[in-house]
Amino acid sequence: MFKIELKKVTRKRAVKEGNNLKEMEVLKGVDLSVQPEEICTILGPSGSGKSTLLRLINRLEEVSSGSIHLDGIDIKELEVLNLRKKVSLVFQVPVMFDGKVEENLRFGLKVSDEKSDEEMEKCLNLVSLDSNFLKRDSQELSIGERQRVSLARTLMHKPEVLLLDEPTSALDPTATLQIEKLIKDLNQELKLTILFITHNLSQAQRLGHRCVILIAGEKVEEGDSQVVLQNPNNPLSQKFIRGELVKEEK
Amino acid sequence: MIGGIKEVLLALVLVAVSIGISYFRKLDLEKDLLIGTLRSFVQLIAVGYALELVFDLNNLWLILLVILIMVLVGGQTAGSRTKGSLKGFTISTFSIGVGTFFTLGALLLLGVITADPKYVIPLAGMTIGNSTNAAALALERMYSEMKNKKDQIEQALSLGVTSTQAVEHSFKATVRAAMIPTLNLMKIVGLVQLPGAMTGMILAGASPLQAVKLQIIVVYMLICAVSIAAVITSRLSQSTYFTKYHQLVIS
Ligand SMILES: Nc1ncnc2c1ncn2[C@@H]1O[C@H](COP(=O)(O)OP(=O)(O)O)[C@@H](O)[C@H]1O
Ligand SMILES: [Mg+2]
Repeated sequence: MFKIELKKVTRKRAVKEGNNLKEMEVLKGVDLSVQPEEICTILGPSGSGKSTLLRLINRLEEVSSGSIHLDGIDIKELEVLNLRKKVSLVFQVPVMFDGKVEENLRFGLKVSDEKSDEEMEKCLNLVSLDSNFLKRDSQELSIGERQRVSLARTLMHKPEVLLLDEPTSALDPTATLQIEKLIKDLNQELKLTILFITHNLSQAQRLGHRCVILIAGEKVEEGDSQVVLQNPNNPLSQKFIRGELVKEEK
Repeated sequence: MIGGIKEVLLALVLVAVSIGISYFRKLDLEKDLLIGTLRSFVQLIAVGYALELVFDLNNLWLILLVILIMVLVGGQTAGSRTKGSLKGFTISTFSIGVGTFFTLGALLLLGVITADPKYVIPLAGMTIGNSTNAAALALERMYSEMKNKKDQIEQALSLGVTSTQAVEHSFKATVRAAMIPTLNLMKIVGLVQLPGAMTGMILAGASPLQAVKLQIIVVYMLICAVSIAAVITSRLSQSTYFTKYHQLVIS
């Protein structure tokens, strides 16, 4: 239900080149505004800074300059642990904590808002997993199952914004469509604002109201998904969409 | 009686054996052995004179100064093994210091020992030696925990837990790793190895039973000091990897 705004967001990182450290700009003055209850997809070649962008909004990292606002409030003004529960990040490579799936689903919940089995089952069903998964050992799940448990684990916190980092990258086509449907349902029924990273163009078309293309840390394109993906303006994004972006241009 | 300068010089024969082995087996260690021999000789003689002086003067402030210097040397040794060694030095010096002063203070207050340098200084030495090991192990382990479990820790953080909650497992593993050598010592003490304090007392003519009583006190003292040093080093070291906004920073 939140509106997210990025204002001239820059992120610098120290990167090792041989033996010396070099400062690299991973994100270069990115402006972006995601409306409440909108699904915005972020496209771009790997290494273009997509994951970093989500990490900044989740405040796992700090912006080097610029600012990020949630409903007009700078996220630096918000209590960070609360921010992370309300603006939830689902990782590209999900990590399962040792133990059963149910222990994973309970992770980070306060004892006072201890969830019933029913609620855990509900979250599992949302991601199309059977409730007998609760007792499964989380270390023995396939990568696709982990991705779904990871999403369910996030939903336990009743977030307002979902930051999804390629959440279907390890899923088969059926599971992918199920998750896409879930994302749309969450968006419509629970009014979640959703930022969705993907490198799959047709997925962006199926899902996104709006799409943004990020290349080498710069926002090169933004607009209605259908329009942008059919008729990109920027020469780099045209190449990216045609699959002809060569390494030097990234 | 062992301990005349003549006996010391005779013992040099043993070093000659070792240099001989190195020479004939081409280990290329002759120079290191010579320097090591000379160094340990000078170092120990100097310490011997210094301790004579401290024991003779029997001044509380002087005793404290000696312990303080030993704590600093321990902190330097433990800290030097990690990168960013100023932080490592500060953390380990503090932890070793707290562990040592707490344990010795407790022994003094309980009246187990008196504030006599001939008790306090050797006991402090053993405490500091073991705490130094514990601090060094804790610094190393914490670093590798942070590096190897980065993904897990960040996953936990992103679910809205504090950095202390996110590293709970790593913290426990670190404290354990730091305490294990001392725990092992407790298990095998007297069976496999006769520890320094006991050996020393027996060589100096005390009865084995007297020596054992002191040794028991020493072991209890060590486990207390090491626990304190391990916990404090782990906690402080952990905190250097996080910003106050619960962000993991590791290069
Ligand atoms: N922990 C890190 N340390 C240094 N550089 C990193 C780190 N993580 C990512 N990078 C670099 O930052 C850039 C952006 O990475 P990322 O945001 O993961 O891109 P994307 O998700 O679009 O593939 C890449 O060049 C990557 O190599
Ligand atoms: Mg990525």
